Amino acid sequence: MSSEPVFVLPGDHIDPSLIPSHPKKPVRLGPGLRHVPPSDLLPTLAGQLVTDRQKNAIRVETSNGRYIPRVGELVIGTINKSASEVYFVSLSDYTAPALLPQLSFESATKKTRPILAPGALVYARVTLANKHMDAELECVSASTGKADGLGPLVGGMLFTVSVGMARLLMMPKKAQQGKVVVLDELADAGLQFETATGRNGRLWVDSDSTKTIIVVGRAIQETDQKSLGADEQRKLVKKLIKELS
Amino acid sequence: MPREAEPSLSERTFTLQAISEGLRLDSRKLDQFRPLELSFGDEYGVADVKLGKTRVLAKVSAEVTVPFSDRPFDGIFQITSELGPMVAPSFEVNRPTETEILLARLLEKTIRRSGALDTESLCLIAGQKCWSVRVDLHILSADGNLIDSSCLAVVAALRHFRRPDTSIEGETLTIYTAAEREPVPLSWLHSPFCTTFDFFGEDGEIVLVDTTWLEEQLRVGSVTFSLNKHGEICQISKLGGKPVEATLIIQCAQMALAKSKEFTDLVDARLAEDAKRRDKGGLMAELSAENER
Repeated sequence: MSSEPVFVLPGDHIDPSLIPSHPKKPVRLGPGLRHVPPSDLLPTLAGQLVTDRQKNAIRVETSNGRYIPRVGELVIGTINKSASEVYFVSLSDYTAPALLPQLSFESATKKTRPILAPGALVYARVTLANKHMDAELECVSASTGKADGLGPLVGGMLFTVSVGMARLLMMPKKAQQGKVVVLDELADAGLQFETATGRNGRLWVDSDSTKTIIVVGRAIQETDQKSLGADEQRKLVKKLIKELS
Repeated sequence: MPREAEPSLSERTFTLQAISEGLRLDSRKLDQFRPLELSFGDEYGVADVKLGKTRVLAKVSAEVTVPFSDRPFDGIFQITSELGPMVAPSFEVNRPTETEILLARLLEKTIRRSGALDTESLCLIAGQKCWSVRVDLHILSADGNLIDSSCLAVVAALRHFRRPDTSIEGETLTIYTAAEREPVPLSWLHSPFCTTFDFFGEDGEIVLVDTTWLEEQLRVGSVTFSLNKHGEICQISKLGGKPVEATLIIQCAQMALAKSKEFTDLVDARLAEDAKRRDKGGLMAELSAENER
């Protein structure tokens, strides 16, 4: 894969050399691409074209826009209301809610299922995401029956960030190439806090001190909105820490 | 129609907790506004106000019409506001929500009924011809404090606006194009500005200004003062919410006066900058057919 990032606009022609050609596996199209029979590939979103030669996959990544659920992604949702068997969970404002079965929590039975009030937050995984259907979520691993950190989020504060920022925050350290260093810098400065990132552009921060939560939230949001580089992020953290003390 | 987005429980409890500790989510002081930006368009009478993430655009236009039969000596002046799905999907076109109606009424009371614009000066021939001045207010994005920013945008746009010059000889009315005669400003009497105070806490004892959308959802009451820099109050509206102490209201009025002076200075400064930008070669004074008052 070339190191130079390739950007495409909707309807652009994609250079055939960029399309992965694995001898055995079929080509897998990710979001933002469309197959026009017989053999054309057209981008439907503006963004960076990302190819994965090993998986023989290709997709377009955007950092803006509304979150579209995809299977296996971790999201932070807000409970809208509860029905007899499911919770209606909103993943982003003004969109159709996702469904979270009330029994898909760790060791939940009909009698011991958690009761969540409207407005409560849950950290969940997307299990079903089809076009034209409501997405479905779970708070327990179907294979092991363990929560693995999923479940209701109590207290703390929810901050909204862009979808691209959420993706960066959830990437392993090595993959994101030191693009986001704010959280590490804040932790090095001696702040104690806990975060959870949802792929739907939500960041949950909890700490004992109110000020810490505000500082962490502001640092992330400013980094996101002004798309700060690593050095600028360090400067921002220094400034915020100074204001704090 | 999609439901209005609502803050989650965590956001509610945390924001209220922070406010009770005297902290705001964007690290502002309780009585501090977000950075306010005012800019004018290339045309006369277009004002663009940015207050944090809130953005409002006001556009003034004028045309010659027949005056209302019961008011033959007055021109027509109207303000129309529009909150469309661009702001949030919960707003629909042609189905005004409560926010929109309250905003329209407040602007009406503040600017129109306080006589900020001298409507008699818009009359051309009594009972036959008059100017109809119309302000279109477009809310481009809403993140709280729509009232203050809208009022500022409307006042700034009206003060920036120039209508075509006219003359009457006998029975004939001539309207000059901008090439023939320099357009003239409206006859403006005073500039009222709105300041909204939001109350938080058990008895509404904590006062915030320039609240964001999230804070606005959680307030227990609010009061809007409209007054000009001389301290002449046009209206005070407290629509429902928790009752608050009278002394607090008086303190708010003092703060509103200070804010109104600040807004006046800002608008004056921006108008002067804009006039300087337009005044190429310094010929504007000679082009103007107006007499000094």
